[in-house]
Amino acid sequence: MRHSNTLPLIADHSTPLAWVAGRRISRAAFLADVRALARRLPAGGAHFNLCEDRYRFAVAFAAILLRGGASILPPNRARTTLSEIAERHPGAHALVDERDLSITIPVVPVTADGTEHAPNPGATPEIPTDQMAVHAYTSGSTGQPTAHSRRWSSLHAVTTQALRRFGLGTDGGTLVGTVPAQHMYGLESTVLYALLGPCTLLAERPFFPDDIRQALADHAPASLVTTPFHLDACLRAGLTWPDTARVISATAPLERDRAQAAETLLGTTVCEIYGCTEAGAVASRETARESLWRLYDGISLTTLNRERITVQGPQHPEPVALPDRIEREDAQRFRMHGRPADQLNIAGKRASLAELNRRLNAIPGVLDGVFIPPDPKQDGGNRRLAAIVAAPERSEAEILAALAETTDPLFLPRPLIRVDALPRSATGKVPRQLLLDLLDQHSQCA
Amino acid sequence: MEQEVARLIVDSLNLEEVSPEQIEPEAPLFREGLGLDSIDALELALAISRAYGVQIRSDDENNRQIFASLRALTAHIEAHRATS
Repeated sequence: MRHSNTLPLIADHSTPLAWVAGRRISRAAFLADVRALARRLPAGGAHFNLCEDRYRFAVAFAAILLRGGASILPPNRARTTLSEIAERHPGAHALVDERDLSITIPVVPVTADGTEHAPNPGATPEIPTDQMAVHAYTSGSTGQPTAHSRRWSSLHAVTTQALRRFGLGTDGGTLVGTVPAQHMYGLESTVLYALLGPCTLLAERPFFPDDIRQALADHAPASLVTTPFHLDACLRAGLTWPDTARVISATAPLERDRAQAAETLLGTTVCEIYGCTEAGAVASRETARESLWRLYDGISLTTLNRERITVQGPQHPEPVALPDRIEREDAQRFRMHGRPADQLNIAGKRASLAELNRRLNAIPGVLDGVFIPPDPKQDGGNRRLAAIVAAPERSEAEILAALAETTDPLFLPRPLIRVDALPRSATGKVPRQLLLDLLDQHSQCA
Repeated sequence: MEQEVARLIVDSLNLEEVSPEQIEPEAPLFREGLGLDSIDALELALAISRAYGVQIRSDDENNRQIFASLRALTAHIEAHRATS
């Protein structure tokens, strides 16, 4: 029986929930897989959901919910990051589908592929609205990973808003996602649109442009859920693209000319989502034509003062302060003027510059060190962090290995330049121009 | 041909610290070897499609093998250039 304080685990649609290796997986078959995995899980608590395969991620996510627990989504898979998070969740298991993942957390292997026998699918399970569903961790700027937790009602609310905004609630269709399900945007746009809407998720994550083209062709017309990084690679690949229902992009700002080029190439509309870890997705725009962001229905902004604007919708128990510089146009629309300078974005992944510097200087033997953010004006995919380090006793390889313990590979510096001492000013700061000069000298020597 | 592909790797990925001759033909390109990652894989795939008209695919069973080393990558390009 449906209680007013519960919401269904999956929406009742006749469309398949997933494509797994070219096979159509019905919602009943998915539920059979979910129930079989749930029987192997401890009750309650929170568990790492590290499944790479999007279908297995969805099965693990739903099975954890069914047992009254929440999925932990780590910002990366570095060993120290996982152990730091595990300390906060005693009893956490890791649900994994890769054999060669070496972690110290107890593992529950996930092998679901939609072939679990389902004699009687039974009623759709209901989940309490206030049950914590996900703890999404970011690497944080304070030295410890920061949790952003969402209740089941909140995920329902944002998914309903997005399905309506993108017309997916009626169209459905296949979601071809290039973003990992562990990213909040990936969870919302490639897993929840299928669980709670009529969409069908694709278990595989296409990576190279020709993979993406093939997936879109196999399921045409499909929706492409991607990032500016992947979209840019598709634009440069020189391929002919199949009929596509829509393109959705998030994680980093998409340039208007890129959005226009993508619309021409794929013959469809490019929608960009605005969101942040703190509030989730709250607005969208058609970047080729619009510079203003339009809030999802039911969401509103409040100006507290010049520096502080909060957002609130049915998914937010309290108003959430937006981290970006926002200028309101009217009740429903706003301009975004950029992220705080501390926030780095490499290929759609975010990190705090202060936190990276802290991690670098925490390495034994590193006397002083500083990361240099890439030049935002540089074209192409090779936007890399560089670092300048004074560490006479440590080799470059040792420093990189120590950083890799806590840091996503995309944020490892290249080049890593060794110096005797950093050119710090009297106030202790390192002028950016001096760093750029050092970088310049370095590349001329190489 | 191997040296040509080595030059393509160094140029497309801006590997300032490495010269094409320094890339060991049998050494792994990713992680332990040159320390390349997913951004590099994508960039390299684009450069290979431009230079040789060969599209790299990750659903290819041999994907890990293709990027295993300079020699394996060169062999893959040669094979697919010949047949296409």
